[in-house]
Amino acid sequence: MEKESGRKILMDPEKQFINTIRTALGRPGNQPPATLFTTSPSQEEKILLEKINTRTHQERDALIEQLRQTVPSLHMDLHLEASIEETARAIGRLIIEKEPEWGTSKSVVCWDHPLINQLKLSEIAELRQIPIHNTKFDGKDPQRKKEIRSQVEASFIGITSADYCIAATATLAMKTRPGHARSVSLVPSIHVAVVREKQLLADLRELYTLLKWDEAEQKEGLTCNLTLISGPSKTGDIELVMVHGAHGPRELHLFIITEAELSD
Amino acid sequence: MYKKTAKKAIADPILQSALSGLQGRLGPATASLYKNQPEGPDLRAKAHAYRRKAVDNLDIMLVTLAEKIRQNGGEVHFAATASDAVAICLDIAEKNNVKHVVKGKSMVTEEIGLNRALMDKGIEVNETDLGEYIIQLAGEKPSHIVAPAIHKTRKEVGQLFTEKLGTPYTDDPPTLTWDARQALRKKFMAADMGVSGCNLACAETGHITTVSNEGNIRMATTLPRVHVAFMGMERIAANLEEHQAILRLMSMGAAAQQIGGYVSYIGGPAAPDHADGPASFHLVILDNGRSRILADEEFREMLCCIRCGACLNVCPVYGKIGGHAYGSAYTGPVGAVVTPLLGGINEASNLCQGETLCGACRVACPLELNLPRMLLALRAKLSEGDSRWDVKPKSRPEKMLFQIWSRVNCNRKFYDILLKLGRLIQKTMPSSNKMIRRLPWPFSGWTRSRDMKPLAEKTFMELWKKNQGGKF
Repeated sequence: MEKESGRKILMDPEKQFINTIRTALGRPGNQPPATLFTTSPSQEEKILLEKINTRTHQERDALIEQLRQTVPSLHMDLHLEASIEETARAIGRLIIEKEPEWGTSKSVVCWDHPLINQLKLSEIAELRQIPIHNTKFDGKDPQRKKEIRSQVEASFIGITSADYCIAATATLAMKTRPGHARSVSLVPSIHVAVVREKQLLADLRELYTLLKWDEAEQKEGLTCNLTLISGPSKTGDIELVMVHGAHGPRELHLFIITEAELSD
Repeated sequence: MYKKTAKKAIADPILQSALSGLQGRLGPATASLYKNQPEGPDLRAKAHAYRRKAVDNLDIMLVTLAEKIRQNGGEVHFAATASDAVAICLDIAEKNNVKHVVKGKSMVTEEIGLNRALMDKGIEVNETDLGEYIIQLAGEKPSHIVAPAIHKTRKEVGQLFTEKLGTPYTDDPPTLTWDARQALRKKFMAADMGVSGCNLACAETGHITTVSNEGNIRMATTLPRVHVAFMGMERIAANLEEHQAILRLMSMGAAAQQIGGYVSYIGGPAAPDHADGPASFHLVILDNGRSRILADEEFREMLCCIRCGACLNVCPVYGKIGGHAYGSAYTGPVGAVVTPLLGGINEASNLCQGETLCGACRVACPLELNLPRMLLALRAKLSEGDSRWDVKPKSRPEKMLFQIWSRVNCNRKFYDILLKLGRLIQKTMPSSNKMIRRLPWPFSGWTRSRDMKPLAEKTFMELWKKNQGGKF
């Protein structure tokens, strides 16, 4: 396996690759430090976790104010609604008002998510003519997967929730889970995201501290795809002129349900 | 080639205005972001240390990353050379019966020449970053790490699209963007393989990260059934808290943003019960000369670079000559260091000699990498030669000249004699405005593009002696 009379004979490319690095690093003489990976939160991070977990309604109002100041520069639309019913009505109006980018017929695709399901968009009378699809999937029927794909491609509005919304950068954080198709926030021309006020965080540091140290988050891990979205798709590749809607959504509407106490 | 391309760029008024527009906008915006971070001003120094730690323990980083990705159902391949990496990708394409590839912007795939290899196999390859798409249609090379088509005007893009896409001519950037959106959407939907780079992996969690503003990388890594990601082996951070600090700094350096519009942490293929996402995920980790940089303490710092392009947005040389003169995927100050290290120091000698050592790149770098130090170290290798890097000393006459110069400098009397001689001789040189216009051979190169100030009538020492009697 090892070197034979100065000539390397066939060795597993991976082992050889890592061995080359080890030689370059001067191993085994040069040993790694014990603190490469972190196993417990710092004092600062503990304080931050406590702060997030004990945040009051009033403190969240300040976050909404911060968010309100962030969204215009990111070309996002912020909608504050007092209840699920009002949110559903506002989204209904949006579906009626907006025109599809490709073709003429309107359809909408939604995550299979408790909050989004509670909107009961298909029960809104004005939307009776408009197909409202849902990305519910149990992993069994490959035909159903194809159907979801074509429904997502055909829809002009995609409705998702998010795990968190970060006020300082207007960032939506979404892990991937069954029913939460990633393409819903990506392929339709308009992305509508609905979160509850309690999902607001102050800044990215809070998000990463939670992802890293919160017990439930730790248990789930980042999943095979964690996406952070800050605003609609954009490009400045032609003479640095900012254009929204390069490949992803051209508009991003963020709905925050601000009701103080929820009864669900 | 360097000089010729540079000359052409300097004479191109449109490129000059594009470059100064880019630098005027991004340079100062990035600098002001650095100043306003919640962690305080030492975030950059900390991030530098994080990167250094990861590079210093790269073996452990990569083994950890590979293990986690495999646990999550992904496949990890190690490629020692560019051709290994290309072969791995072609093999994946063949096994999966791939006909159409969509690509997110990736400098590593430029480095290994992946597109050509795929197309030679009859596979259709479409770049999907708007800038990359434009230059792919035009058959050109990227001229900026983040804004690859910065050298193209809206009129040129309009003509290109009319010619290649058959769209009605316009020079309106939103309409042009929409034309490309429409053309590429079809490609995204039809593609069976998506290729991306990796901005920065996280060893602890077992994820690669991709960042884009257009959403093209998300498209390319969500819709096709196969995702192949290419990663320079050094692009990794140990844990999530270090990863996020570096990632945020990268966004500031690249586009003066707090965070890129779309950031994806990808840790493997989609699970069977996920409604979408690729069924298979491959990560190709590339050495291609990086281990040689790793082994040399003088240049190991360069492996901390995250290719954000911030140094391009402040460099006075890049600001004049643009990206094409650098002759590789990596342009500007980062290219001036990395291209010689990856491709041969002699072959790319013009690059490190063309930079000015002004230090602007170091100030602009989100990780405060000392590029000027490494440019100087490269020049030293060129002058002295170095067998480890296969460098031949560049110019023996130049070296001899400097040896003579150092002798002269050590001998005051001889120096004074030469000084007096010089003052006499310089009177015979063509001059105007009290500047010497042309020097004779072998010094003529110096005055080819600049005038030289003549030797003073009296040296400082002579003046001091005369006016102050040599005392304070």
